[in-house]
Amino acid sequence: MTDVKDKIEKYNIPPYFKKVLILLTIVGPGLITANIDNDAGGIATYSLAGAQTGFRLLWTLIPITIALIMVQEMSARMGIVSGKGLADLIREKFGLKVTFYTLIFLIFADLGNTMAEFAGIASAGEIFGISKYISVPISSLFVWLLILKGDYKIVERVFLVGCTVYLSYIISGFMMKPDWLAIAKATFLPDVTAISMKDMPILVGLVGTSITPWMQFYIQSAVVEKGIKVKHLFESKIDIIVGCTFMVTVTMFIIICCAVNLHGAGLVINDAKDAALALRPLAGDFSTILFGIGLLNASIFAAALLPLAASYYVCEGLGWESGVDKSFEEAPHFFTIFTSLIIIAAVIVLIPNINLFKILIWSQVANGVLIPIILLYILNLCNDPDIMGEYTNTKMYNFISYGIILLMVLINGALIYFEAIRPLLE
Amino acid sequence: MSSLNIFSNFDEVSVHFSSCIGSKVLGRDGVSLGKVCDLFVDYEDLYPLVIAIQYKRNGQLFYANWESVENFSYHEIKIKNDAPEGQSRTFPKQENEKSITSILANQFTEAIEYPPIGKIVLDRQIVDTSGKKVVRVNDIQLIKVGQHLRVTHAEIGVRSMIRRLGYEKLVDKTISLFRPNSHYLKKSQLINWKYVHAIPSRNIHKNVKLNLSNDDIKSIHPADLADILEDLDSFGRETIFSKLDLQTKADTLTEIDEEILPSLINEDNLDEAAKIIEEMDADDAVDVLHELDERKAQLIIENIKDSEQKEEVRELLEYEANVAGGIMSNEYFEIDIEDTKNSILERIPKVFDEVETVNDLYIVDKEYQFLGMLTLGELLSYSDNVNIRDVMQEQDIISLGPDAHWKDVAEYMNKYNLFNIPIIENGELLGVVSVDDILPYLLNEKS
Repeated sequence: MTDVKDKIEKYNIPPYFKKVLILLTIVGPGLITANIDNDAGGIATYSLAGAQTGFRLLWTLIPITIALIMVQEMSARMGIVSGKGLADLIREKFGLKVTFYTLIFLIFADLGNTMAEFAGIASAGEIFGISKYISVPISSLFVWLLILKGDYKIVERVFLVGCTVYLSYIISGFMMKPDWLAIAKATFLPDVTAISMKDMPILVGLVGTSITPWMQFYIQSAVVEKGIKVKHLFESKIDIIVGCTFMVTVTMFIIICCAVNLHGAGLVINDAKDAALALRPLAGDFSTILFGIGLLNASIFAAALLPLAASYYVCEGLGWESGVDKSFEEAPHFFTIFTSLIIIAAVIVLIPNINLFKILIWSQVANGVLIPIILLYILNLCNDPDIMGEYTNTKMYNFISYGIILLMVLINGALIYFEAIRPLLE
Repeated sequence: MSSLNIFSNFDEVSVHFSSCIGSKVLGRDGVSLGKVCDLFVDYEDLYPLVIAIQYKRNGQLFYANWESVENFSYHEIKIKNDAPEGQSRTFPKQENEKSITSILANQFTEAIEYPPIGKIVLDRQIVDTSGKKVVRVNDIQLIKVGQHLRVTHAEIGVRSMIRRLGYEKLVDKTISLFRPNSHYLKKSQLINWKYVHAIPSRNIHKNVKLNLSNDDIKSIHPADLADILEDLDSFGRETIFSKLDLQTKADTLTEIDEEILPSLINEDNLDEAAKIIEEMDADDAVDVLHELDERKAQLIIENIKDSEQKEEVRELLEYEANVAGGIMSNEYFEIDIEDTKNSILERIPKVFDEVETVNDLYIVDKEYQFLGMLTLGELLSYSDNVNIRDVMQEQDIISLGPDAHWKDVAEYMNKYNLFNIPIIENGELLGVVSVDDILPYLLNEKS
């Protein structure tokens, strides 16, 4: 960061431009985290949302974005001020027991998420007519080698470039010439009363794929890794706002694409593949290929980064050696967790006739149970002057945050009831 | 006398810190005073003595001195009638003469108030100065000594983790059914307290003003120390590094990961940064400076007092970091054409610390034009006091230019089995690249 400042002074760059340059060096963690958030599960949910409800739920993206920005900002601020990861802080403040059970749940939820990514890879392959028995084993090996033999920094950069694929959703959204007035109205002047019980699973899905437990760990580690200093807190906030806004714009356009073409067309859309294939006769090959590539890009990177992040924070919390640059003998737990997550997820996805949908729902339930708990930890840590010094939350911030947690509890409670408890009772 | 024995209801020799936590503290007539939440110890002992028990009642923290403990067990701790009760998160340090001070004790000598031991060590990272790595502590082990408890070990490993989770008995029984002699049951992973180095933490620092000295850290090899610093959070890393002496700082910086290197060189103290650079060999100094931004590097160079070092660093800084010129050392063993075997052998003790290697002898004239070379081994093989002019090798000398990529350097070393390669441009000997300069590139530590 300082080097850019120095170069600015050297080359006599005007002050407003200075700020932009400093910002660019801080940008990264927020943008990357937000983009991994648009993973296979996310794209599937957005496609469903568009196909089934049209523009009707677009407005919910605004409160979701605000909540997302706030929770990520807290984690990033904690990382910057304390210089420690979230698992680290939870262990030091709440002890081994709490950390252990939280991590067990997290691993379970992450396994489900990783499965969702491999299912996404399988779907993307099928769009192009490739059997999942070919696409999944090859991509799991690729992902494993990419992380363990490749350079993580390069992986991250490639991923950022891969994110530009998402821009094409926006382009194709414009090409479809939707009714912009209707979109603006649905977003900013919504008919909130039109929401029905039938929308609940989609709504829950939208919230659930946007605000996830693991991303809090991920963004905090990323800012710690980057060594961002307290004086750059403001730039870090901009990074998060830009990242979340970009992500939500992409989300909006995926919903719009599917809403314009598929809503009310009388088609049965169950997942991202259905949506992609249904787009072909209506919007042309371009959309189908775009959806396929978008899904593949999102799934592969999330399938690489999720197990990696999980292995890192489990080892961090339990005090085991970690790091891709270590050997197996040096960090056995780390490599075991990483490798098993990938193998188990890939194998389960490949079991013939397995009901993937059920597995995904259960992993979402695990996420849903966890996220309010993780957010409570974050709020507690963020208000601890021993950790945050003068950078604790303001009262207003806490008030809104507790509101968000309450909403999350209600929404996830509804999810758990509808998807997990009710089917058991029937 | 048994009624006076604090441990009359406690048979085990060693005490697990985690098992004490949550024990009931009982006062007069068995009235509950609260539950144990931590212990205060005298950090200035080699094996710290427990001096007070901290307990929690209605969310508030109190402590009772060890002298007022009547009976100790995991189940409950009885406090003598009318014993004084302190209310504080920390324990006021008592000034008394100490004959024994351990290395670790120095960490706490300037403390005004003692923090409880759990807060400093339990669930936190510490440096194991014997194993030379950063570990997370799962439990603390104490032993009974007379009527007192002393801290002896920090415990890491799976078994202590299972104990904390409350499954120790269950897991122990299950394993002893199948493998009664298993490694798990026989051995705990313990770190002797004298090798425990607490890591400075922002929150503890703020409350109790600990002065964490680094005497035990300094004796660790710089390469290990660099690994340790890489494992710490930024606050602990910078605090520990700032307390090292110049030489250790210099040695550690040359070993440390290039990503975190810039954060350790303090921009506000250019004078010290320059002094650290002066302590390094010129080629290492240049490696470090390459990781900093140009302006900062220039400012540091300007502050270097040793004009010879300054000049050498400037010369080397002209080249890219990944070519021979950027990797080489320009401090080589200069041999004059008029030298003889004896005159060279006499000079070796004087130059040994200064030059990259004495194994290869490079013969240059006054303008540093390269004339020839000879290995030390070859020189020693002559029994007479030979003239260099007569024995030096002038033809077929393997050398590279300063713009050769490190990969070419590595290839040449491999092909011709060399430990050192002279770097020559227009006949002038600029410096020497040795194999240990190339290894980090080969091992992907640098690029």
